[in-house]
Amino acid sequence: MALLAQIVVSGVLLGGLYALMALGLALVWGVLNIVNLSHGALIMLGAYATYFLFTGAHVDPFAALPLAAAALFAAGYLIQRGILNLVIRGPMFNTLLITFGIEVILTYLAQLWFSADYRAINPRYAGSSYTFGGVTVPLVQALGFAIAIGLTAAMWLFLLHSRTGRGIRAAAQNLVAARLYGVDPKRIYALTFGLGAALAGVAGGLYGTVSQINPYIGGPLTAKSFVIAIIGGLDNPFGVVVGGLFLGIVESLTALYVGPTYRDVASFGILVLVLVARPSGLLGRTA
Amino acid sequence: MKRILFFLATVFLSAAAWAQPVTLGASVQLTGPVANTGRYYKDAYEFAVDRINAAGGVKVGAEQRKIALKILDNQSDVNLSVRQYVQLLGQDKVNFLLGPFASNFVLADSSVAEKNRVPMVQGGGASDQIYARGYRYIFGTLAAASDYFGSTIEAMTKLDPRPQTVALLYADDAFDVSVAQGTRELLKKAGLKTVLDERYSTNASDFAALLSRIRSTQADAVLVAGHETEVLNFVRQAKSLDVRPKLYSFTVGVPSADFRQALGKDANGASGMTAWLPSAQLKDRWFGDAERFAHAWKAKFGYEPDYHAASGVATVEALVNAIEAAGSTDPQQVRDALARVSFDSLYGRVAFNDKGQISLPQTMVQIQNDKVVPIYAAGAFINKLEYPLAPWGDH
Repeated sequence: MALLAQIVVSGVLLGGLYALMALGLALVWGVLNIVNLSHGALIMLGAYATYFLFTGAHVDPFAALPLAAAALFAAGYLIQRGILNLVIRGPMFNTLLITFGIEVILTYLAQLWFSADYRAINPRYAGSSYTFGGVTVPLVQALGFAIAIGLTAAMWLFLLHSRTGRGIRAAAQNLVAARLYGVDPKRIYALTFGLGAALAGVAGGLYGTVSQINPYIGGPLTAKSFVIAIIGGLDNPFGVVVGGLFLGIVESLTALYVGPTYRDVASFGILVLVLVARPSGLLGRTA
Repeated sequence: MKRILFFLATVFLSAAAWAQPVTLGASVQLTGPVANTGRYYKDAYEFAVDRINAAGGVKVGAEQRKIALKILDNQSDVNLSVRQYVQLLGQDKVNFLLGPFASNFVLADSSVAEKNRVPMVQGGGASDQIYARGYRYIFGTLAAASDYFGSTIEAMTKLDPRPQTVALLYADDAFDVSVAQGTRELLKKAGLKTVLDERYSTNASDFAALLSRIRSTQADAVLVAGHETEVLNFVRQAKSLDVRPKLYSFTVGVPSADFRQALGKDANGASGMTAWLPSAQLKDRWFGDAERFAHAWKAKFGYEPDYHAASGVATVEALVNAIEAAGSTDPQQVRDALARVSFDSLYGRVAFNDKGQISLPQTMVQIQNDKVVPIYAAGAFINKLEYPLAPWGDH
């Protein structure tokens, strides 16, 4: 029983990190209709930014998260303004190709700059944990979970209540009408992509404190974020959280009952099932 | 006149042939997820070839020839590496092949060597599957995967208190599956009870479920067959879930410098194994001895060599020795010479069994105070093993 409880708790905590990774991808996808294949590479850059702030400037990794987010926001804003905007009206395949190209470039630049060495963000408290009734809760994962939920809620409030957030939703729902009401799509799109990149930056920093970093972690993380965005749907940030938690728990239970080698079978199997049964996501309205 | 021209042409042509180097080709992971270990092989091949050329090159029959190297980047992609080996033989016309890193690459790439009847000497694949197919043109300098935990399990039976239960975890790739198969036998022979025997997916990043199961089975010893990313994640998450068995050992990572760098203090207590330690006892024709080799390597490349590096150098030396013994660059003759080769090197004694595999004992090592310390080899303890491991909180 303690084992099952432990597995579920681990799954929930993992799901929180998953959700944060997918949040930026889902936002950009929902608003810009771009499946950003470089999302994982942005997560990787966020991880390196946090790593170097920690090892080079001795900034605590959690204090470094806003800085990593700001840096990634700037990078995302520029990528959208300078590159993606040129093809935003083109067919989806073009944007897929371009973001794939950006992924490759960022990955290989990362190897050139940072080498392929494995690194880990390892503050003194990185391995600390608390045990309640036989269930161990790792401190860093719990903090990461709280940050993921907090950012999702902040995102939701921002989209719902701020002027810019309403602009973003308006651009996602009906671009022509939004323009008539004075929404500048160039600015809104760049802001949205910047936000997506900033979220990737935060996710990367947290990923580096629980896992290891190398220039090639991006690809699998993009795939995972993609699955979660599909499961959760693109309408609502909380859908992404539900998708992340669901996937985290299912993967953990699969590892317990079926075998750890079948985790990806489970997660991509669910992707197929969701696409067949509920194409707009678990929380989305089905067509 | 014609006769003189013909004579001159013959002289020039034979001079050109004399000057022509013996070319060794390899496809190595210079980029991609395993570039981190792939670089050992590129650096090892270049370093060995430089040294051998500086000493005059390779003696083929009566003539002294230089060695040239052709290294391609396979981007950590098995399919690309197969195509590159085809290209190396078909288009670049290299004389002999050196190997890539990792068993799954060698498994695929050695088929190219076999099909073209050109010997490949590889120092990057340890899986027993490589040698189980009756291939005649593949020779390997890494100790057999099935015996990676051999010295560790032998040491375990001599510990006090003796560990009673063992958890065995392995990734689902060629190398780690071979390790697991061999380890099961060894555990059975040693009379140790396996309470968990589980396969996980390659490049797994989340070990929470496995670690929770290890805790619930309360295994005394945990043996993990995996590559460096997996092992790093495992150790970090073991700490964060407060799982600390009395002993844990990993097939890959522990002897490598960047493993210790990434984990810092948390690396302490991790056991592993290496078939090579940079000892001055290991004499070498080109590098003097292994200790001097290690110093020269560090000075040249800026990082410490581990057994991958020494194994890579040994493959080049094996080919050179075989070419000199054959007195020819004919692939068939060199292949036969490789089968008979036996020489001392900085890596140890290099000789291949009839399947093409080297036989090397593993030394059990443990990280103590941020250093790799040899623990057990050749039936005896060299240094004291930290056992049972202190709980995480005491660090």
